[in-house]
Amino acid sequence: MRRTLPCLVIAIFSTLCIVGFGTRAVQAQQPNFPKVKEYRIERSMPPQATACIECHRATTPGIFADWARSRHANANITCLDCHLAQPGDQDLAAGHDNYYHRSDLPYGQDQYKVPIAAIVTPKDCSRCHPDEVMQYTKSKHANTLEIIWKIDPWLNKGMNSDNERKTGCFNCHGTIVKIDDKGALDPATWPNVGVGRINMDGSKGSCTSCHTRHRFSVGEARRPEACDQCHLGPDHPQIEIFNESKHGTMYHAYEKEYNFDAAGGTWTAGIDYRAPTCAACHMSGSGKVLTSHDVTERLSWETQAPLTIRPADFKPFPAGTDWKAERGKMKTICQQCHGDSWIEDFYNGFDKTVEEYNEVYFKPAKKILDDLYGKGLLDKTKFFDEHLELQFYELWHHEGRRARMGVMMMAPDYAWWHGFYECKKRLNEFTEEADELIKSGKKAHIYRDYPNATGDTTRPAVIFGPQK
Amino acid sequence: MKKKYIVTPALVVLGIMIGFPLFSMTYYTMVRTSTPEFCASCHEIKPAVRAWRASTHVNNAAGVVVDCMDCHLPAPQNTFDFFFSKTYHGIKDVMAHFLYGGYNRAEERNNAYAAFKNNQCEKCHRNLLTIPNRRGAMLAHRSVLYARTGYEKKCVDCHYDLVHSDKIYVMFRQYRRVPYQAKGLRAEKLAFKIRKEDGR
Repeated sequence: MRRTLPCLVIAIFSTLCIVGFGTRAVQAQQPNFPKVKEYRIERSMPPQATACIECHRATTPGIFADWARSRHANANITCLDCHLAQPGDQDLAAGHDNYYHRSDLPYGQDQYKVPIAAIVTPKDCSRCHPDEVMQYTKSKHANTLEIIWKIDPWLNKGMNSDNERKTGCFNCHGTIVKIDDKGALDPATWPNVGVGRINMDGSKGSCTSCHTRHRFSVGEARRPEACDQCHLGPDHPQIEIFNESKHGTMYHAYEKEYNFDAAGGTWTAGIDYRAPTCAACHMSGSGKVLTSHDVTERLSWETQAPLTIRPADFKPFPAGTDWKAERGKMKTICQQCHGDSWIEDFYNGFDKTVEEYNEVYFKPAKKILDDLYGKGLLDKTKFFDEHLELQFYELWHHEGRRARMGVMMMAPDYAWWHGFYECKKRLNEFTEEADELIKSGKKAHIYRDYPNATGDTTRPAVIFGPQK
Repeated sequence: MKKKYIVTPALVVLGIMIGFPLFSMTYYTMVRTSTPEFCASCHEIKPAVRAWRASTHVNNAAGVVVDCMDCHLPAPQNTFDFFFSKTYHGIKDVMAHFLYGGYNRAEERNNAYAAFKNNQCEKCHRNLLTIPNRRGAMLAHRSVLYARTGYEKKCVDCHYDLVHSDKIYVMFRQYRRVPYQAKGLRAEKLAFKIRKEDGR
């Protein structure tokens, strides 16, 4: 009996515990259904817009949920405001009409039928955001496809395949979107959100590169992560440079305190953010410097070009800016957190870097390359098919950019080890190989059967006009 | 002394007898030559008038008809501007008709866009800043009426192919299936630079 009582107590207690846990487990499982985002249409909108929302809420809940959390939904901007096509538009999604004849869809009725374009272009966005689109249209972003077709040997000499271009180059630079007679988008050109995409209405680029659909958030574009899908890697490691810099270190340490969603024009250094992101310096307004969607506006050097030049002298796409005025703007941006001597000394160092890169590394290498072409030791028909051409390319396109950009955005490892150290090594090896060729008078080895050099070399007519 | 009492009223009466018919005739001429029918008497302008007649600037539930000169000439109460503009364009069009054979509608359309001033539209469209059900349009109109330096825009930069586009049926504003939307900035507005290389 003495033993039975405690045993009984333990038994009852453990039973209760099990039951208790059990019910809790059941309770935890009970609401484990996918949560459906609710939306009650309580504001005035055309019945066709209601149809879009109700149908896409069921068929593409991700798109719907994104939109429902956006500022567009707040302002009662519906699917129709952006996707409605005008009769005669080139980019009509003809296939979409079929959904209005489907009896299994509650809104699949003719009365809701409207012409729809799948792709929303900067021109569509310009209906409500004209200034942003005007700024963007004159930027190197919007015109990047024209720029690479003017200077890039991969394209002009056909050194890579169309698929390598689509999955690599054009993913960031943008495709030239095409549609067939039946209204189906050409899969070789779509999907694509490249910043320099050429749209069927003639507009350039894609706002959703940085303001991803269907949230279209200003806060998202203010984060460095908005830029890092394209601005990374061996040839222009801006995001790695940013992360290494003090700006990046502070961003990562204090990111949680940042107020990314401040209204346009009110995002303020020291209040909304502690250290700048890419957008803070290159786009956001401050003091008398106004916000711009032309990312190239405030540059005073083209550090991406083979020979560093002023933006107005960048031949493939000369900027309509005066570098002195633009540097003044950038200095004003710096002044939010830095004193004058700090800024002056920084820019002196940057200018010195540009001069050293131009004079000590690029110009001598270019001279040697031109000599070799002149002597017929290198073959000019193609590019990248001789070792020295690759060496020269990587000198400016990889290491040379890393050195210049590393200095500009204050990342010592990129300025030196990934930058000028590599430049030195490359130029020495390049010179050695060139000297040997000149000494022996032997022509350089040409890579035979260049892999996958099958890409189309015709410059696109939409950009350059019909070929002669 | 007696002569003076006769001469002055006689001159006034004579002035009225000459001036009033002259004024009336001028006025009547202006009225007669301000109708769309008169504009359509030139065959070059006929397609534009036909398209206008089928547009929502003619066909709407309020019964408002916007005539050619409402958009294309200064308001008649600005008498001098109105008379000057009308006479100038009248003479120019007649001269062009006889001196040059061709009339390129697409080209003239662009010339008209270039010449169009916002205050022409704003004579009627005066309340553009409060459009509760079209917040986007509200935003865009603000950027035109309170334009930033360097970002001045014309109404016709976004609202084009509106009246004079050829239609296969008459458009009624009240029967539009979905509300009217501006088309976004015209390509010309977005073409910032004409670069010499590559023959552009």
